[in-house]
Amino acid sequence: MPLDKLYVDKHVAYIKSLGENKDDLTYHLTAHLRMNAIYWGLTALSIMKHKDALDRDEMIEYVMSCWDDEAGAFGPHPDHDPHILSTLSAIQILTMQDALYRVDVPRVVKFILSLQQPSGVFAGDSFGEIDTRFSYIAVNALSLLGHLHELDVDRTVQYILACKNYDGGFGNVIGAESHSGQVFVCVAALAILDRLDVIDEEMLGWWLAERQLPNGGLNGRPEKLEDVCYSFWVLSALATLKKIPWIDSDKLTAFILSAQDPENGGIADRPGDMVDVFHTHFGIAGLSLLGYPGLEDLDPVYCMPASLIEARGLRKGWEALPRRTAA
Amino acid sequence: MHGTRRTRETPEAIKARKEREQSKLKEYLSLTDHVMARKKSSDWSKEAFDATTKLLQINPEFYTVWNYRRNVMLNGLFMNSTPDIINDILSEDLSMTTAALKAHPKVYWIWNHRRWCLENVPEGPAGTQDWKKANWNRELAVVEKMLDADARNFHAWNYRRYVLANTPEQRPETAELAYTTRKIEANFSNFSAWHQRSKVYVSLWESGKLNKDKCIEAELELVKNAMYTDPNDQSAWLYHRWLIGDGQNHHILASEIAAIEELLEEQPDSKWCLESLVHYRRLLVRNHAMVIGKEESERILRQCIEFLQQLQTLDTPRKRRYQDILDRLSVAKQ
Ligand SMILES: [Zn+2]
Repeated sequence: MPLDKLYVDKHVAYIKSLGENKDDLTYHLTAHLRMNAIYWGLTALSIMKHKDALDRDEMIEYVMSCWDDEAGAFGPHPDHDPHILSTLSAIQILTMQDALYRVDVPRVVKFILSLQQPSGVFAGDSFGEIDTRFSYIAVNALSLLGHLHELDVDRTVQYILACKNYDGGFGNVIGAESHSGQVFVCVAALAILDRLDVIDEEMLGWWLAERQLPNGGLNGRPEKLEDVCYSFWVLSALATLKKIPWIDSDKLTAFILSAQDPENGGIADRPGDMVDVFHTHFGIAGLSLLGYPGLEDLDPVYCMPASLIEARGLRKGWEALPRRTAA
Repeated sequence: MHGTRRTRETPEAIKARKEREQSKLKEYLSLTDHVMARKKSSDWSKEAFDATTKLLQINPEFYTVWNYRRNVMLNGLFMNSTPDIINDILSEDLSMTTAALKAHPKVYWIWNHRRWCLENVPEGPAGTQDWKKANWNRELAVVEKMLDADARNFHAWNYRRYVLANTPEQRPETAELAYTTRKIEANFSNFSAWHQRSKVYVSLWESGKLNKDKCIEAELELVKNAMYTDPNDQSAWLYHRWLIGDGQNHHILASEIAAIEELLEEQPDSKWCLESLVHYRRLLVRNHAMVIGKEESERILRQCIEFLQQLQTLDTPRKRRYQDILDRLSVAKQ
């Protein structure tokens, strides 16, 4: 089957099938990612205009079954410990399903704020792993919950800035090497906080543009292999800086499409590899930013349907490519 | 899933695989139930601890179980133990996670658990730091092995920086410089090592242990070597850009421009030569216009325009970026 178009029906069927693999060992070994996986699946479906392919009530009940009443946060799976990663996914899912009213918002806000460290960075949970990913998650979640005003913005920005490297990119902690995934989270956090002024746009734009390899895919760091997930992270940051034209979007589109499994659906990290919901989500999210025909607009900052973010008055000044009409 | 090739399975093959997996799956699920039940009842026993070992060996991503394991240690195993027993337990956990890391070098939770273990090593006999030193010193060897296996593993590099910053027996930072030299000489493309080198230098300069100007000169030699070895390798060019910085030093800027021009003569189609020359020449005009004069500045900018046009055909994916710079140059000229 030719790989020059998006197999929407196959991908919808693939995402729907994910919950039916309960006799599969891998399904259980990845239980710690279940909440994220639902967010990835739901967002991909929404962008493909098939949001209703998964049962709404069932999904909301699952999310609520992961609520940890002691911590005031969500785990990824019933009985798993609460974490900021699964808490953001839960909030994003409930936002997309218009069911945020189910959440005890003040308690979640308290949980998130309690994770901020004196340096300004956020920990992922009470065990204290720190990462600029968690700063982004905190900023994103507080913003969706309408409680950003409770955040110590200066301290948050200060730590992100301390992770900035001379190449314009960001690492996950102070001293760490720039990495596309961290660039995405840091740029998006700064965008939400209206502090893009601290970014060296020329330098970072250059670094991001140089992520594109001759086969069209983007890598996460210099002299590394291309990957669909990195492609999205780079693209999101470029969209936020209004610099998507700095790379070859046709080649990137072709690369993402070539990583599809045209028979059983799903998108892989690169052509010919095993698909998973994570890369399926980031592949479709990337295609949306590239103006691929027939898709919904994705907000690159929140990584959620753009219409939803706009309706909440949270849209920042990013620029995706205009939506093309099918040839 | 990263880097796993897709295989086409017939429905029969899937069925057969699932049947084969059944016993494993059952074992995994019952072990999970067992551990979770103990966790729920705040069981801090040695049996609970052993059960987490078994489960984590099957699934090291199960962070809830790592959390539980630490709580079993804190609330159970450590409670009635002498410091030397606590030290033994933690040392054993460090060994166990060394094995786990070999199989799963990119699992965040394993690296986190190691940090926790190190941070909880008790003081040695009679208030000495012996146990801490022994454990922390071993970490550097472990992380070096991890970086031998994958020289770009950013978990390992981050962990390395963490160990270097926190180890009770501090090494001189120049030793780290020597380490990055080794890594770079083994592979010029290892940007992680170049990055680390830049961080170590900044620290050495800030503390006054090394003279910045002298270092920069030596570094320019090293990086030139790399640029000549493979002019298409980004790592060296990025590092070079760091060395030049905002180009305040006129002498260095001018001599590096000359050196890259020389390389360009050998490699007339080198994108990185052209790109860097545009960048450095613009710095020259921006910072040193007074020294070079108006006419020369204009000549240099004309050269930049020429190179940018050449880049647009040489490096088509990024032609819009070159156009944006061209637009800015022509606005500046007006
Ligand atoms: Zn990936």
